[in-house]
Amino acid sequence: MTTNSRGDAVGTPTGRSRQFVAGVGVLFWTWLLARWAYHNTLLDSVMTAVGLADLIRSDLGVSQREPWVPAEPFESTADSIGGLAADLGPAAVLAEWLAWPFELAALAVSAEPAFAAGAFVTIYLTVIPMALGLFIALPTAVARIYGGPISSRLSLAFTELIRGTPLLAQLFFFYFALPLAGVIDDIWLMDLSGAPRTAAVVAIVAFTINSAAYQAEYIRAALQSVDAGQLTAGRAVGLSRMQGIRYIVLPQGLRYAIPGWTNEFIYLLKYTSLAAFITVPELFRRAQNIGSDTFQYTDIYLIVALWYIALVLTTSLVMGKLEIRLAVPGVGRAGRE
Amino acid sequence: MSVLRIENVDKSYDDEPVLHDVSFEMDRQEVEVIVGPSGSGKSTLLRCVNRLTEIDDGAIYLDDEEIHSVDENELRRRVGMVFQDFSLFSHLTARRNITLGLRHVLGLSDERATAKADDYLERVGLADQAESYPAELSGGQQQRVGIARALAMDPELILFDEPTSALDPELIGEVLGVMKDLADGGMTMLCVTHEMGFARSAASTITFLDEGRIVERGPPEQLFENPEHDRTAAFLSDLTGLHQ
Repeated sequence: MTTNSRGDAVGTPTGRSRQFVAGVGVLFWTWLLARWAYHNTLLDSVMTAVGLADLIRSDLGVSQREPWVPAEPFESTADSIGGLAADLGPAAVLAEWLAWPFELAALAVSAEPAFAAGAFVTIYLTVIPMALGLFIALPTAVARIYGGPISSRLSLAFTELIRGTPLLAQLFFFYFALPLAGVIDDIWLMDLSGAPRTAAVVAIVAFTINSAAYQAEYIRAALQSVDAGQLTAGRAVGLSRMQGIRYIVLPQGLRYAIPGWTNEFIYLLKYTSLAAFITVPELFRRAQNIGSDTFQYTDIYLIVALWYIALVLTTSLVMGKLEIRLAVPGVGRAGRE
Repeated sequence: MSVLRIENVDKSYDDEPVLHDVSFEMDRQEVEVIVGPSGSGKSTLLRCVNRLTEIDDGAIYLDDEEIHSVDENELRRRVGMVFQDFSLFSHLTARRNITLGLRHVLGLSDERATAKADDYLERVGLADQAESYPAELSGGQQQRVGIARALAMDPELILFDEPTSALDPELIGEVLGVMKDLADGGMTMLCVTHEMGFARSAASTITFLDEGRIVERGPPEQLFENPEHDRTAAFLSDLTGLHQ
């Protein structure tokens, strides 16, 4: 997980291309949100209570869900183009190439319900650890810079231990070595319908700890880029050290941390695919399962890659907007321009 | 009763002596100007008074209380400071720069702090810039906010650490004007500055510091017209010449 580039993958397209990107984005998210709502347990119980029992179908398992766009036209087009191959002789390869996009589209359409469910898991495996990790990362970074010899060393040890070991190893450690899974199973929450399964909770714990270490480093670098004279000026007014950190250093430093934080967000979004190895049914696990059912491994991995790209682009777009919104003249992106 | 009494203060940075046996006293409403070549320990002396730097030896009294017997945050509330590089909080508007200390050090409500901040911005002629961020203000405006920020805390004494040195020449006047108004209004001020015009017109006493020692100290007329030491005469005539 080296982090050289900024997470700012989306530039500012202009005019028509901007409208096109926005249109695709709105379509994608409207449909995704509708799909989630359509199978949401909580929404189902609400709608059933108001007498609309069949509006929301949370009773359907993922494998029973029908795609909203029929796959059949794509399949038959692919078949008919492929059928020409036999008559074309040496040019048969050309027909196969022409048929391939339609096969891909047919697969993408029929995999849509499974990927929509997987994307939901991928997103909560990212968002929850990012949010919880921030609460660990902030005191870790502050302790590292401003703490005494013990707290700064503890902070250093934590970040180096976590950054020095593979995320997959950490995930396996939490899942297999620690009795964490057993503990989570015993918690009452796990009996509620719709709650994440044990493996997903273990993954959230592991990702939180991993992400906290990386976030702490981004935040540390950002806090250290705040001019030392700022804290001095705060102390000279009579603020205590902690007040100075809280009211002066953090508000400035956290603004500087947003690009790095976006980067970590995007990394984690993709690294949640490791949760597939402990059976969490997120995007990548869904792709593996479909691949082993259909043997169309190349195609399904290509499709799942597009899913990740859609989520990553959305993240950088949202974080870029956040950065601009939070910037003040002189501090943050708007100030640098 | 003296507001500030400095007794035999010594200070070194890593065995490099900066202040030797510095002693003087300031009364209420006095304006003390410290001059001296760069590296003579002027800024260090100011920073010792509000304990941004700790002295090695000697004693400093604020209202006859030794400053090390006072809580450092309490001490700094009572002693304001204006910085050479302004050091405004860059993420806060001019108004919020002032209210931060009022709210979190003096414990004023947001409403009262805002009203007070606006009062002081008006006093330094920046009522219309309350919502501006430091990056949107000129150097002179920033320094006036810096002065308002120090002033709003109702300090017994304000330290000015070369408040005009980082300013373009045409912006110096507006800052000196505010400082002169303060001096005329009876504020007790300890200023490190090379603005001899200000020293002549506003200072009650000028102290010439060289190599960490007080060479000469007296009212402006005496130092400008009749200095005891040749070094004082040479330094002051250099400075005065520079600014004419």
